[in-house]
Amino acid sequence: MRQLPDLHTLYLIARREFLTRLRSRFFVVGTVLLAVMMAGFIVLQSFLAGRPTTLDIGFAGDAQVLAAPLKQAAESKTLTIDNHDESSVAAGKDLVNTGKLDVLISGDPAAPDVYVKDDLSTTVELTLTGLVKQVALNRALVAAGANPADVAAQVANANVHVSYLDPNAAQQTARIVVGIFVAALLYVTLVVYGQIIAQGVVEEKQNRIVEILLSTVRPAQLLLGKVVGIGLLGMIQLMILGAVALLAASRTQVISLPDLGAWAVFSGILWFVLGFVFYALVYAAGGSLVSRQEDLQAVLTPITIVVVGTYLAFFWVIANPDNPIGIGLSMLPPFSAVLMPARMASGQAEAWQVGVAVVLSIAATFGMTRLAASIYTNSVLRVGSRVGWLEALGAAQDARWRGSAARVSPAPRP
Amino acid sequence: MTGAGLELRGLSKRFGKLQAVDDLSFDVRPGELFGFVGSNGAGKTTTMRMLLGTLVEDAGEVVWNGKPIDFEVRKRVGYMPEERGLYPKMRIGEQLEYLAQLHGATAQAAHDSVTRWLDRFGLGDRMRDEVQKLSHGNQQRVQLAAALAFEPVMLVLDEPFAGLDPEAVDSMSEVLRERAAAGTPVLFSSHQLELVERLCDRVGIIQHGRMIATGTVAELRRHGPERYWVDAPAATADWTKGLAGVELVRTQGSRYLVELTNGAGDQALLRAALQSGPVHEFRRDVPTLLDIFREAMTEARETTA
Repeated sequence: MRQLPDLHTLYLIARREFLTRLRSRFFVVGTVLLAVMMAGFIVLQSFLAGRPTTLDIGFAGDAQVLAAPLKQAAESKTLTIDNHDESSVAAGKDLVNTGKLDVLISGDPAAPDVYVKDDLSTTVELTLTGLVKQVALNRALVAAGANPADVAAQVANANVHVSYLDPNAAQQTARIVVGIFVAALLYVTLVVYGQIIAQGVVEEKQNRIVEILLSTVRPAQLLLGKVVGIGLLGMIQLMILGAVALLAASRTQVISLPDLGAWAVFSGILWFVLGFVFYALVYAAGGSLVSRQEDLQAVLTPITIVVVGTYLAFFWVIANPDNPIGIGLSMLPPFSAVLMPARMASGQAEAWQVGVAVVLSIAATFGMTRLAASIYTNSVLRVGSRVGWLEALGAAQDARWRGSAARVSPAPRP
Repeated sequence: MTGAGLELRGLSKRFGKLQAVDDLSFDVRPGELFGFVGSNGAGKTTTMRMLLGTLVEDAGEVVWNGKPIDFEVRKRVGYMPEERGLYPKMRIGEQLEYLAQLHGATAQAAHDSVTRWLDRFGLGDRMRDEVQKLSHGNQQRVQLAAALAFEPVMLVLDEPFAGLDPEAVDSMSEVLRERAAAGTPVLFSSHQLELVERLCDRVGIIQHGRMIATGTVAELRRHGPERYWVDAPAATADWTKGLAGVELVRTQGSRYLVELTNGAGDQALLRAALQSGPVHEFRRDVPTLLDIFREAMTEARETTA
């Protein structure tokens, strides 16, 4: 490209791409649907995590002395217990069998029989075991001539002292959740908007308007205008979704780290810009190779596999934060577009790694701009059968720019 | 020779083994309607694409007003490709204004011009409709409006009349004549030879990428053979024998088509006919563009053979 793209032309093209799609039902409905799904997911998570459990526990015979201490001990473990007195073990068993009682406890408080249908809550079992041991201990203390209340008062002050050597570790889980979230959102947006770009390229090729456009606009202008217009739309959608996610998360307190969330959204958008331009160019070049929407998937599938693979690789990278392969991949385009922001959100990325990733990503995007413009220029006016990647690249090597003219191979005559 | 308007000098383009355009030269002057005629695959579309810059020529050059054509000029050329193309789901008015702006018009000028042309084509009330809702003929009108709505310095139209009904052909012809009269060079290709004959100031016939004849229809006729229809019912079948420079081309009942060669005079022919008896018809056979076209094609084929 000898001359810089004419900015006004670029603006006109980007504006058309942006407005046409902004007004489309696909965008409006899609954004609303995604936002509702995401908010719903977060609310559901918080509901599942904080759901109070209530158990109906029946006590028969001597075991009834366990009722009050069990209820009290369980309450500190977010478990609510409704106590019921049962007249007999047999009657209580019937209630357990019919599901009216969750647990029946009977017999000697130091060695009670516990009846459940098929499953005993771990919390109940552990709490009960503790209580039973206390009862046995108290009996042993009495037998040894000691007063259990005195002993209890003496041991009450025994305590452990905890020192947090790595206070950030407490945030680790929340951070990883945010990281996964960022990776998922970025990968979905890259794939969806990449496809939209490729479809836009094929649409212009399929309805032949590209011949009119290229008689007045340079191919690189058309390509960049598309990337900018559609990319802006993707960024706006990402911002809406990010804001909804932050709002839902802070309201439900799934993530109690608003700073972390806001930072994740910000770096997510930064990385969307870096990654999107790169992938959008690849998708656009891919789209220019075919003449019909039906042929598009075959060309795009390998690209999509790379993005999806990167997203899946993230789970391995995050589970092995010190593995040099994972760290290396997260700095290397095209993988960095998903891996680095996710690692940043997870708190695993060091500053120098982020820096390297950003620089490499920008460099790769510049390289891709030239490459994609060549492929696009060589293929976009060729109608008919699919153009091979290598064919388009081979032709690209001797592509000459002369004013507006793009070297293209013949379109087979109809 | 330099001058105003468009000039193509020795343009060539090869696709693999196919020499699509071969040392092609012609010019279109301001105010001129130039008809580009040739069979399918003769190289018309390839020539137009090189002119518009979507194809790079192997050799030769395109000259505008005496200087090699550049991007700024090409931007102002109104082009209607053979394969029509518009965004089917975009509104007509919006789409035409967008295209006009890409060609360099300001937003206001584009709006005014689009409104004017759509009114002219009777589509003023459909500006807000999507292109795909229009009939074929109306889509064609919108396509033409796309080539006109930015005050183009030149019009290049690839088969603008293809698929139009007679009424649409008339209104399209009128617009082209009008643009030419306003000083815009107009180049268009067509298979409809009688239309080209009626409409064009000059015609170029292209075959296998070579221009085999250019000129006004009258000029092309002058190059053709001088033939007469003679209706002489009383004449014997061999009445032309022995007349110097007269050759019988064919006979239709009592009508004879004869060709004069070597400067033989038509009056001598008439006298010879009258000697045989009554003459009901004596008429110069004016070749149509189709005749000229066929003749030129045959000649070119014989030369290459």
